[in-house]
Amino acid sequence: MDSEAMTPDERVWAAIRLERSDRTPVIPTLLPEPAAGLAGVSQAEVANDNGAAVRAVFQVFDEYGGWDNPYPASYKPIQLQAAGIFPMRMKIPGHELPDDVPYQLDEVEILKPEDYEKIADQGFERFFQEDFLWRISDLTPEELPKEMNDMVVGGGLFLEECAKRDRRPLFLGSGLHPFFTLSLMRSMVAFTQDVYFHPEPVLRAIERMTDDLIAERIDFIKQTGIDVWLFTEERAGGFFFPPRFFERFWWPQTRRIVEACWSEGIVTLFHLDTCWDKNIAYFRDLPRGSAILELDGTTDIFAAKKALRDHVCLKGDLSAALLSVGTPDEVESYCKRLITEVGEGGGFILGSGCSVPPTALPDNFRAMIETARHHRAA
Amino acid sequence: MTEDLSTAIVELDADAVPIIVNRRIDAGEDPLGILEDCRRGMTLVGQRFQEGEYFLSELIISAELFKQATALLDPHLAQSRGSEATGKVVLATMKGDIHDLGKNILTTLLRVHAFEVHDLGVDVDPSELVEKVREVQPDFVGFSSLITSSFASTKEAIEKLQEAGLRDGVKILLGGGVTTSRLKDHLGADFQTLDAAEGVAFCLGQAGRG
Repeated sequence: MDSEAMTPDERVWAAIRLERSDRTPVIPTLLPEPAAGLAGVSQAEVANDNGAAVRAVFQVFDEYGGWDNPYPASYKPIQLQAAGIFPMRMKIPGHELPDDVPYQLDEVEILKPEDYEKIADQGFERFFQEDFLWRISDLTPEELPKEMNDMVVGGGLFLEECAKRDRRPLFLGSGLHPFFTLSLMRSMVAFTQDVYFHPEPVLRAIERMTDDLIAERIDFIKQTGIDVWLFTEERAGGFFFPPRFFERFWWPQTRRIVEACWSEGIVTLFHLDTCWDKNIAYFRDLPRGSAILELDGTTDIFAAKKALRDHVCLKGDLSAALLSVGTPDEVESYCKRLITEVGEGGGFILGSGCSVPPTALPDNFRAMIETARHHRAA
Repeated sequence: MTEDLSTAIVELDADAVPIIVNRRIDAGEDPLGILEDCRRGMTLVGQRFQEGEYFLSELIISAELFKQATALLDPHLAQSRGSEATGKVVLATMKGDIHDLGKNILTTLLRVHAFEVHDLGVDVDPSELVEKVREVQPDFVGFSSLITSSFASTKEAIEKLQEAGLRDGVKILLGGGVTTSRLKDHLGADFQTLDAAEGVAFCLGQAGRG
């Protein structure tokens, strides 16, 4: 057995602080859906029972020998909707979908052009809770408190299971970027048209959401006791939009949020799906050590390392396809390359690109975890 | 406001496009000529995209303008249609996946280039796809995936095409956020991309129009 001189937390925080660690930390984004796949539990079970979701995640954690920090994974999808984390219609296994299919987001045009001004005036939270939620959800107002309470109870169960294994979650606070939130609520095509042809209301809504996020979310993150929060964006990068839109609708607001968090010692974990090659250099303008970029395998993580070396931590980026249809040898080989090249000098956390897919092959998942344990960066 | 339809599309002038199309229809112009100008504009958009000058957002906007123009032209095209399709394409998001944003963009861009597109929608059963291929005898079959849950049904569909003796007559395309060249090899597909315009370029090349 290779010797380990650091605790999981020390190892992860060394990477976040861009310092060397005893080995590269590994944190797969193991949510209830892939956990169900690897644990042999139905998707319907984990999607409709907080306890089943937590049990599936920790069954996998134990069967594969554990990893450095678990991802929070105690939710039912309908609760993510109710909490505004995924502000969209959903199809749920055991209800609208067969038991063996993971829940899916059903992106349709629900937000109307006039709603941007409502968000700018009322703030997102009030608009969502009093109005928008009831356009997308099958829940009744009477059912909502129970679901929210179940989510809190599930969170408590998740923390208990972490504590039993002497682990802390990577983060507990999370949110979607205002830009991404609005795109999902409005749907991609209509939102893109709004950004091009009616930008002012969109911008006012984003600015208000940014102000609210800074005013409200930071206190919550501090209360969790974990100085990392997850911030998700999939549509603002150069895969979708030209730099002039990025520079107007995303980057200034993002920088404000990250700097406000950093002033309180909070690190922002960016979950950046799709290709961000054209935007990577911007992240050098953030304070050193204030962010982690979690990349999904479409951004060139090796180029990102060169651009952001010794400035922000990188995390990723085994693609869903590699974990689903590759071989253990291919996974091991790619992990070694990541550890050697991106992990060189520190500042890297090995993980899946986006979530581990529900179709991940057990031997591939094991190869990822094992390679991190045994292969050392220079 | 520009008076040139192709330019209006290239410049993403959402106000000008319907005005110009309606004006030219009212003037009794051949609707196929108007459609050709729309296509010329879309081709220029595609070129700018390939050169990195335009982004996916601009492809999306221009595709919507094209759809708007063709909706205005459709009632007038019924009598004058007759030109041969560039090729036939069957598209589907397979069982286990209900996402279709990328596939919808590809559908529009293929129609810009006069491909006959049969879009089967989302959550499509492999047998349904095979039946459609048997019925329309396409040149291309495109599978769209945003999540890996559709990999198994995509594989099943390709195997069924093989069993039915239909595989060799088509080029199989994969597209969508979770597809990779590794997946292409695994499934025995002919082409994979994350980029709708690249998919169109492949089809045009195969059809001898590249």
